[in-house]
Amino acid sequence: MQAEFGAWSSSRPEYIAMAEVNHGQQLADTVLDNLKYQHDWTELQVLTHSPTNSQPLVRPMISGLPPRRLYVHPDDQIAMVKSSAVPNGKMFDTPEVEWVLPTHISEKWTLKAFAAVFDSLPAQLSPHPERPKRIVLATIHADSTIVYYLIHDGIVKPRQN
Amino acid sequence: MGLPLELMPEEAQVLVDKKVSYIADDATFHPARLATFDEPSRRAYVQSLKNEGKRMQIAVIESNNRNKPNPHEGKSKKKKREPKEQEDLSTDHLVGGDNEADESSRLFDSSPTPRKSINIGEVEGYALTPTTSSFLLPTLPDSELEHSATVDVPVSYPLFAHLHDKGYYMMPGLRFGCDYNVYPGDPLRFHSHFVAVHFGWDEEITMMDLVGGGRLGTSVKKGYLFGGAVADGSDAEETSDRHGVSRDDKSEQPKLKGGLVAPPVRTFCLEWAGM
Repeated sequence: MQAEFGAWSSSRPEYIAMAEVNHGQQLADTVLDNLKYQHDWTELQVLTHSPTNSQPLVRPMISGLPPRRLYVHPDDQIAMVKSSAVPNGKMFDTPEVEWVLPTHISEKWTLKAFAAVFDSLPAQLSPHPERPKRIVLATIHADSTIVYYLIHDGIVKPRQN
Repeated sequence: MGLPLELMPEEAQVLVDKKVSYIADDATFHPARLATFDEPSRRAYVQSLKNEGKRMQIAVIESNNRNKPNPHEGKSKKKKREPKEQEDLSTDHLVGGDNEADESSRLFDSSPTPRKSINIGEVEGYALTPTTSSFLLPTLPDSELEHSATVDVPVSYPLFAHLHDKGYYMMPGLRFGCDYNVYPGDPLRFHSHFVAVHFGWDEEITMMDLVGGGRLGTSVKKGYLFGGAVADGSDAEETSDRHGVSRDDKSEQPKLKGGLVAPPVRTFCLEWAGM
């Protein structure tokens, strides 16, 4: 259906822009539902503009709070192992607010597009402003499966798992 | 690692870009260069080989002396004693009178004599088989370096140069289905950190490639790194670099020796979120 619409709208630029907005909004709604009901995220909201300077985002994104800490930086992992004072990683038990970028498996992205997404995000939102920005990439399949990946803006060594 | 050494085209190009080496076409260079040799320069070349051989042998002797101080001391003690006995015999035969003074003076002389000082005179030099043609090369002025033959590097070169500049070591990526297997140092000491794939700035990236690559990378404890040279001039200010590997390294684009600036590259790392 998407493809048919694309062919129909290709000669009408004004509809492409509208389709783009609807596409992004639909993806965001689907991902939000999935995060809410399957992954127990809370404080979920769809954001179309940057919360700091109210510039429009490349496409609607979702912010939310996962039930557990989603990501621990490898440096923190090492620090955690070294400090025996904090057993079982209690130090990183508190979840952090995550930003989620909804995408569809049929989309084609570019380095330029990813760069634009990161550039539109305010750095000060992150709990670690000194580290590269990080978002969650949600990819939706037509069968409603959704996969989640962490994507970092720059070179970040992998976690020790 | 010794010479000769086979480099990836990208590695060779990085060295050329940093102006620390240049590319010569082996097949044309050697016949052309050797044909220009006259008798004096030939002799000079042979002499340079001999000198190098001597230098090598002396270096080996010196390092041997340095590495085994204890056995060497033991030996020199033994040596000290041997001449004494010989001295006794010879002096008895020859003079028989003031042999005590003679002996003590000889003892005094021989004890501080380092073995290597004797050897240096005797060194014949190793017969060298040169692993490079550096003795054949005339010392080239900087302008000559510009005439370096070109290297046929793959399109992924900007990503390679960027990672190389950050201190990473790249191996061919076939084993993980990527462009480069990225190590944080010596590949014999470390596991690789990233499975790296290059994309053009406006090249379409299929989401399935990211999903598959990210999942593969995470399952082998690596990150899936993708990136490429920033194409639009206005956006050349790369933000990814500000958060490089070493956060204290706030330097801008690396200035290469020749004043060239490496093309700005932007990279992203992907890991499975585990949900």
